[in-house]
Amino acid sequence: MIGKDKILSLLSSVLKKAEADSADAVYIGGESGLTRFANSTIHQNVSERNSRVYFRAIIGKKIGVASTNSFIREDLEKALYNAIEIAKNQKENPDFPGLPHQQDYSKINTYFEKTARFTPIQRAEEAKKIFDQAQAFNLTVAGSFSNGDTEIAVVNSNHVACYQPLTTAYINLVVMGDNSSGYADQLSRNVDDIKMEELTQTAIRKCMDSKNPKDVDAGEYPVILEPSAVAALVEWMNYIGFGSKSFQEGTSFLSNRIGKKIMGDNVTMYDDGTDESAIAFPFDFEGVPKQKVMLIEKGLAKGVVYDSISAHKDKVKSTGHALTPDSAEGGLALNLFIEGGDSSLDGMIKSAEKAILITRFHYINGLLDTNNAVLTGMTRDGTFWVEDGKIKHGIKNLRFTESMLKAFSNVRLITKERKIINSWWGDVGCIVAPAMLIDNFKFTGKTEF
Amino acid sequence: MKDRIKEIIDYLKKKKVDYADIRHQKTSLEDIRVKNNTVEALSRNEDQGFGIRVIKNGAWGFAASSILSPEEMKRVSDTACEIAEASALTKKEDVRLTPTEIHQDKYQSQYQKDPFKVSIDTKIGLLLDACAIIQKNPKVKVAEGSMSFFKTEKVFASTEGAFIEQSILESGAGIIATAVEGSEAQRRSYPNSFRGDYASRGYEFVEQLKLLENAERVREEAVELLSSPPLPEMETTIIISGNQMALQVHESCGHPTELDRVLGTEISLAGGSFMTLDKINQLKYGSEKVSIVADATIPGGLGSFGYDDEGVKAQRAYLVKDGLFVGYQTSRETAAVLNQQSNGTMRAEGWNRIPLIRMTNINLEPGEWELEDLIKDTKEGVFLDINKSWSIDDKRLNFQFGVEACWEIKNGKLGKTYKNAIYTGITPQFWNSCDAICNRKHWRIWGVPNCGKGEPMQTMHVAHGTSPARFRNVKVGVSK
Repeated sequence: MIGKDKILSLLSSVLKKAEADSADAVYIGGESGLTRFANSTIHQNVSERNSRVYFRAIIGKKIGVASTNSFIREDLEKALYNAIEIAKNQKENPDFPGLPHQQDYSKINTYFEKTARFTPIQRAEEAKKIFDQAQAFNLTVAGSFSNGDTEIAVVNSNHVACYQPLTTAYINLVVMGDNSSGYADQLSRNVDDIKMEELTQTAIRKCMDSKNPKDVDAGEYPVILEPSAVAALVEWMNYIGFGSKSFQEGTSFLSNRIGKKIMGDNVTMYDDGTDESAIAFPFDFEGVPKQKVMLIEKGLAKGVVYDSISAHKDKVKSTGHALTPDSAEGGLALNLFIEGGDSSLDGMIKSAEKAILITRFHYINGLLDTNNAVLTGMTRDGTFWVEDGKIKHGIKNLRFTESMLKAFSNVRLITKERKIINSWWGDVGCIVAPAMLIDNFKFTGKTEF
Repeated sequence: MKDRIKEIIDYLKKKKVDYADIRHQKTSLEDIRVKNNTVEALSRNEDQGFGIRVIKNGAWGFAASSILSPEEMKRVSDTACEIAEASALTKKEDVRLTPTEIHQDKYQSQYQKDPFKVSIDTKIGLLLDACAIIQKNPKVKVAEGSMSFFKTEKVFASTEGAFIEQSILESGAGIIATAVEGSEAQRRSYPNSFRGDYASRGYEFVEQLKLLENAERVREEAVELLSSPPLPEMETTIIISGNQMALQVHESCGHPTELDRVLGTEISLAGGSFMTLDKINQLKYGSEKVSIVADATIPGGLGSFGYDDEGVKAQRAYLVKDGLFVGYQTSRETAAVLNQQSNGTMRAEGWNRIPLIRMTNINLEPGEWELEDLIKDTKEGVFLDINKSWSIDDKRLNFQFGVEACWEIKNGKLGKTYKNAIYTGITPQFWNSCDAICNRKHWRIWGVPNCGKGEPMQTMHVAHGTSPARFRNVKVGVSK
């Protein structure tokens, strides 16, 4: 950890030298470790200390961006100089509204000392306990266990100076048998929250229960999606539809549909970077405070998230969803929540006459028909046939190809309990998802295992 | 830096490691993205640091830092050793590396024009001109152009005596037209989707792409797709364009022949492979027309280099020969399992990542057909062009790929256009249905700059040499 004062003062001091109309700097840096295992042995075990500082220089409406991963003053000054030189040679961006001004940020705790200091030996000891538990069932384990700390700061020439330290711990487990596998994972800011024993038992149980999987033909079935599966669908929906870029370009399933009913009454999705119960982060990479944004409310298309430039284009205010300055992706929702219902996973299983229970999906892609949110992907690591209210047996993995507008219009039940699921956005984001029972979910193919 | 690297190797030797290597890497990246009349992003990023990989007590440890002081290099060395000691807590047997020739050498990729010395005006101008052409049809809502340039300087040294310096320059560019009508959007890209084509070459590669000459065509094809019907569901003959074949080779042959995946070490993220050890020299992967080679030695390929990140010299090795599965992509550790030598495919995204088995240039060898003759020879089927979506199961068997555009083939002629086309299959059945591959005239290397693998995630630059090919009895059009 470098610390708030040193980061803010060095960045401010370097920015003062900017021969530009305005400028900002974004610092992201920290230390992390990751222990990876397969066949119940640690085969990759890594540690990294790194940082990145982005400078954005503005001359008129011309923007130049340069970055360095050195935190030495002369390297920072060189990066700022590069940003200014690029700005001088740039074309004007008419949508640039100017840099944000100083604002108030939510005070949230995102840093846990023990998580930052958790050592490779501690990770290895936990891994060994997991391997031993699986060995008792003649099963092996693959997965990873990571932890680390990160400091993020944004400083600009309009007196924005915000800083947030944060920690993250994440474990994922795939327990492997001869012809089956089981999955469990957990993400938290605090390593003490990780329930190793419970996760291990869940993955072992799923692997044991899905032994000798049977064939099921492709077709439409009711599905019970566990939180990891729901989150994987919503993660792709976010990528193709909840951000300002796809919305403005007309490729989002929300384009031309704001205010219209596109999902069931029981479906609400929103983004909230300030909810401390998940992986919160109070400001975006322009230093704008994160706003809670309703995306889908009781099935109605409500809105998308913005950074400054895309917001200016639509004559609205930034919602605090800018990515790093080198990005051209507009605003993106990094802290997604899917509202819970009043059911439970057991209740869903008991209520199902026939259904397929899915632990998680693999290799989803949603680029084929983004306006209809058509996704395809495979099931993985624990797919089960449910009949007469009971899990009967494991089934071989299936491929789904389905419009999410249709799927989320067919949600029969939603669990009250929600889980924090790891997302593409690492330390600054997650998806909080319940389990769902969805009718008429379409499977278009199957595989051999 | 060279002296510091040599000092650290001596320091590691004194720590009685079984093996250690250090990699210092410095990368410059320039990225330009233009949309309609605006330059949306123009950035230059500098990145450098070092990573130290050790085997101690028979287990792996790796630590990396962006701080280049001698004190930090010693701290990182100590950390790598401590991590290896932690790894050893769960080891079943000692890590064993297959022997390799030890090199002290330099490698420089070849180029004519340094893109970092070409003026920003020239680069932006080309993309804005292409976007202006694309915008001439009012149904095109978004015209996009992008360019990226990478300059990487690497030094690798090991306790075995290797000392290798490499300098690799890479360039790429592409354009996209997105036509929109109501709640329907269709896209055409050139020369490939996902930001174009890339090569280990200079700015001359971008000039030779002829972006301006293709802008009008992609514009009109995107607009035409808006009024095209979706591809109906059926089983038919398909001819796949060269760029979509690159994706096909990547997903269904490149990844499943990575020996680390086969041995289970990627299970937690990307999965395993159906091409298990018992299948080598046994599995009829494809028809006798199909030969696939991993070749890191081709000048200009985005997967080309002098030495991999274990110091093993770049090689050419068959994966599939005349339809038979004959080999894997290997590392020094995984090759030892087969009592073979590494064929040199270990690469890391940067100084802060461990090397993994990564595709080099995984090439489908050309056949004998002219594309025109192949279409003439096809009574009924579809022609599929440029990847749009991709998904494959975690053993690389069931795949479903979508393309930007599809044309009907009827009685040997291209006919009407279909939108939202997909095709699906099971890998070995699919490749065994290949009955024709186009010749070298139609063969080119496609650079893929976004291949993901590993935890922490590493994005690698790889490539695929392909030409159009024909497959029989393939299920198409199952989008919804």
